[in-house]
Amino acid sequence: MFTLITGRTLEQGRTMEIGKFTKDYMDRVAICEINPEDLKKIGVESGSNVKVKTAYGEVVVKAVSSNTTSPGVVFIPMGPWANMVVNPDTQGTGMPNLKGVPCQIEATGEAIPGIYDLLKKISDKTFEAKISKPEVAVSGRSETYSNVVCCFCGCVCDDLEVSVENGKIKSVKNGCAISMAKLLNYDRERAYKPMVRKNGKLVETSLEEALNEAAKILAEAKYPLIYGWSSTSNEAMRHGVYLAELTGGVVDNTSVSCHGPTILGTQQAGVVKATLGQIRNRADLIVYWGCNPVYAHPRHTVRYSAMAKGRFVKGRKERKIVVVDVRPTPTSKIADMFIQVKQGMDYELITALRMAVKDHTIEAPTVAGVPREKILELADMFRSARFGVIFLGMGLTMTSGKGRNLEEAIKLVQDLNEWTKFVLLAMRGHYNVTGTNEVIVWLTGYPYAVDFMLGYPRHNPGITTATDVLIRGDVDAALIVASDPASHFPRKAVEHLAKIPTIVIDPRWSPTASLADVFIPTRYVGIECEGVVYRMDGVPLRAKKLVDPPPEILSDEEVLGKLVEKVEALKLGR
Amino acid sequence: MEYLIKNGYVYDPLNNVKGEKMDIAIKNGKIVSPSELSGDAKTIDASGMVVMPGGVDIHSHIAGPKVSAGRIMRPEDHYKVYMRAIPGVRRSGSGKTTPSTYVIGYKYARMGWTTVFEPATPPLETRHTHEELDDIPILDKGCFPLLDSNWFVLEYLQNKDYDRCAAFIGWLMDAIKGYAIKIVDPGVAEAWSLGMGVGLSLDDQIPNYNLTPREIVRGLCKANQMLKLPHPIHVHCNRLGFPGNYVSTLDTMDAVSDLALNQDTPIIHITHVQFTGYAGDSWATLASGGEEIAKYVNNHKHVSLDLGQIVFGDVTTMTADAPFEFVLHHLAPGKWSSTDVEAETSSGIVPYRYKKKNFVNTVQWCIGLEVALLVKDPWRIFPTTDHPNAGPFTSYPTVLAWLMSRKAREKVFEQVNRRGLRKSALQAIDREYDLYEITIITRAAGAKILGLKDKGHLGVGADADVAIYNLNPEKIDFSKDWETFVKAFKRAAYTFKNGEMVVKDGEILRHMYGETYYVKPRVPESLLKTVVEDVKTRFREWYSINFENYVIGDDELRAVKPIQVETTLKG
Ligand code: SF4
Ligand SMILES: [Zn+2]
Repeated sequence: MFTLITGRTLEQGRTMEIGKFTKDYMDRVAICEINPEDLKKIGVESGSNVKVKTAYGEVVVKAVSSNTTSPGVVFIPMGPWANMVVNPDTQGTGMPNLKGVPCQIEATGEAIPGIYDLLKKISDKTFEAKISKPEVAVSGRSETYSNVVCCFCGCVCDDLEVSVENGKIKSVKNGCAISMAKLLNYDRERAYKPMVRKNGKLVETSLEEALNEAAKILAEAKYPLIYGWSSTSNEAMRHGVYLAELTGGVVDNTSVSCHGPTILGTQQAGVVKATLGQIRNRADLIVYWGCNPVYAHPRHTVRYSAMAKGRFVKGRKERKIVVVDVRPTPTSKIADMFIQVKQGMDYELITALRMAVKDHTIEAPTVAGVPREKILELADMFRSARFGVIFLGMGLTMTSGKGRNLEEAIKLVQDLNEWTKFVLLAMRGHYNVTGTNEVIVWLTGYPYAVDFMLGYPRHNPGITTATDVLIRGDVDAALIVASDPASHFPRKAVEHLAKIPTIVIDPRWSPTASLADVFIPTRYVGIECEGVVYRMDGVPLRAKKLVDPPPEILSDEEVLGKLVEKVEALKLGR
Repeated sequence: MEYLIKNGYVYDPLNNVKGEKMDIAIKNGKIVSPSELSGDAKTIDASGMVVMPGGVDIHSHIAGPKVSAGRIMRPEDHYKVYMRAIPGVRRSGSGKTTPSTYVIGYKYARMGWTTVFEPATPPLETRHTHEELDDIPILDKGCFPLLDSNWFVLEYLQNKDYDRCAAFIGWLMDAIKGYAIKIVDPGVAEAWSLGMGVGLSLDDQIPNYNLTPREIVRGLCKANQMLKLPHPIHVHCNRLGFPGNYVSTLDTMDAVSDLALNQDTPIIHITHVQFTGYAGDSWATLASGGEEIAKYVNNHKHVSLDLGQIVFGDVTTMTADAPFEFVLHHLAPGKWSSTDVEAETSSGIVPYRYKKKNFVNTVQWCIGLEVALLVKDPWRIFPTTDHPNAGPFTSYPTVLAWLMSRKAREKVFEQVNRRGLRKSALQAIDREYDLYEITIITRAAGAKILGLKDKGHLGVGADADVAIYNLNPEKIDFSKDWETFVKAFKRAAYTFKNGEMVVKDGEILRHMYGETYYVKPRVPESLLKTVVEDVKTRFREWYSINFENYVIGDDELRAVKPIQVETTLKG
């Protein structure tokens, strides 16, 4: 018996931006990292296929030997393969158990399934690749843009320099591996025509017909799910909230499966934060807990944290860096101290730290696999910092305890303010997950998982969360915008999504698009159109337009605006 | 649509109209002379009703990062208080002390208010503030950038470079679409960045700078005068929330008295004075400093005040005074949020409940009313609740009734802490505001102190923002029948915004949007260039975004109303 954890990797992030249908993506994501000792025990060679079995399903992936994975623990990057085997129970939080799932591993002669093979297992819809070639721009502007806002990860770096030649992006300066991959390959996996499913197959159609079909689905639904958003602009999000209100449905963004638990912690305790510039200028102690920015937010350490040069703290030498994680990571390599916490026991460790900070006696010699002396040392480091910060990652939100882990971490930071200056910040993943949470909260009063069944906003995580309404089969239609739940939700949720009429609005072709009944392609925010987006710390930025969009393709905001009008017409008889 | 509002008792202090029966005509969003109406004008029979300009609120936290942070941390504030959508008419929302944006617009409009200013926005995050303001329906609005701990301001003031300080602020107002200079516990955010700043006094030194809060207030007051901004500096005094702080308030007001140039208009506005009106030297010996403050204001024309009047019940305290919220977190243990914004400011949030039986809360309740009743000039006192700090804005009708009726106050006297009640002069005050004075403090004076020429009155050419209340001033004795007043003010009979009927019989009729005001001071080009170059060179070192992305375009806002301002700056 092993313990399965899932999470982001740099290669998963990079290849996902190039395309989820590429071999590269499959090679990087349909894998299972296993400790060499464990490989020996189960008699599997690194590079051969294994079947991973849990109580929730099974999947064939490639075994990869990994020294950083502890014995007894195996790691599958987040994605369609991992979702076949994770635990869909959200325990009333909206967040499935994506880390710490008991599993069995055995050698197999079976081949690794492709994405469509996975989808076919859960639905009898026909799935076809609809990816088409971009229409080559005959002419186009040539220009170099500076201060470009990167719309990929929550760092939302705003200092890229992008040269455009004849309407195509030619080069990117200041970017990281992920932003380069995105900006130079964004049109690799795209469909350029609206589609509706007719006689079981997606066929190309006009925007007008696709919108009519979509409006009909939403207007006829009793309880639709309006989901996605974190990779589009605030402007688009506003329409999403209105559509949920008009249809009496539920609106949710991807925070449900990333930092939703952080919000739950905030609802219990508040939160003590700072913008990234304040941290860069002043933090002399930086803790990365359950996050791996070197992979997931590649420029974070250089621009804002460990390595960054600030006004009062000049760089890496003047900062102490601590990493707390279940296994060593590329980020822990740059740390002064690495604390290896036992999978699923972060809550215990944080509680012990709170006790140590307050000079309460810890009797156990080790807590969560960490020796007591280490905990006391760490508490001392925390108290003697001038300005400390804890960056919190999905290692805390996805693991057991979920919102409680975050609540406890927030309280630890609150306690520390009795001694010194201390803040924390959630490492939000998608570039505008923060902004869309804000839009939802200012329009409705709640930041995510908002239900309009009774004509006014209600919020009940575990009941009104996107994952739960799908897993329970509550919703009877879905509008998915700029998101790919088919790749990131547990199998049971995807099964229901495939059953109900589903509209997908997205600049790119995705596994979710391939199960859609209506698909409408749109522009990329920050490449083909403008839009307001919020960085992980809440700093708002306006993304630029760099290139002209393909002909007849509108922005999410515009398409949704038209959809709103049509649904209004049907619902209000206008 | 054209309207003729007939036979109402009109209250229009800026035009000296004191409840006379008059007709008010509306055409193309403006007040016109009745003779200009066409035959299509719709007649509104306002006989037996009061007609006033739409309400103007100069201080209410309705938008921006801290407001949403308050919403996020308080789902319980939203469970029970909500508004259902009426398809095609109005949208839905929720929240009592931290309502969602639609609810804010609707509830203000239902009370007959049509213009509201958000008094604290961190410049770096003002794009967010504008996004929320943009989503508040019906109201016209604006916001005050926080400048007392801004590094550029601090450096210029430290170098006594007032010209550049003013030029910088002029540039910033235009760049981020701000309206007035906000000062919160001057210099405190810089101290809080080091975990210090609790109880900072007017003459303490700000860490890292050779500056005191006094110098910051004076410097910003000078800059404001050079820029000739329409609103005075808007100041939340040092030591807010500490017993004995009324002295700081007096000192702060007096710190700029020599800068007043004999003009009638205030040069410093002291906000939510209740929170900085405490005598005594501990919570146990707390008493009111209200009399002293009122006396000063009565003798000095350069000061105006708003109350921050306590209303008993639940609130969400939120302020850029982060160290004070840290202190409050200890007085009221539970949830606490705090945010630092690089190079500029910080903020804190703590949920709180004012209890009638509580000694301190009773003293607080008395102070606001005492000040309001002792200040003689109604043009320099504003009946805010510092929403949502001392009470939600939806309590305004109740607060006004306390001012209008001794009886209404007496009813509360019976319920509150006896000992607390004796710590102020309130019980001995008989003054009752009349409806004309109420019109001044809730609309005319607000428009005047914000410099909004087309608001707060019903003269020809004014914006057609009009509130009609079902109140007959000839029949009702407000002193006795204050409950009728409260009922009428909670739900206006009609509210017109820009000439559109938006409320009838206290219900929202339509979802529409107002405009956002900001100032555009004319800074001489060469000076502007020097300052912008200066800002650019240090921006990269100080901020985590690029200078170019800091600036907010007019096209990012739904509808802007720039106010051109001629400055005294020389190039
Ligand atoms: S770190 Fe994130 S935001 Fe910055 S360039 Fe890389 S992908 Fe873009
Ligand atoms: Zn305030």
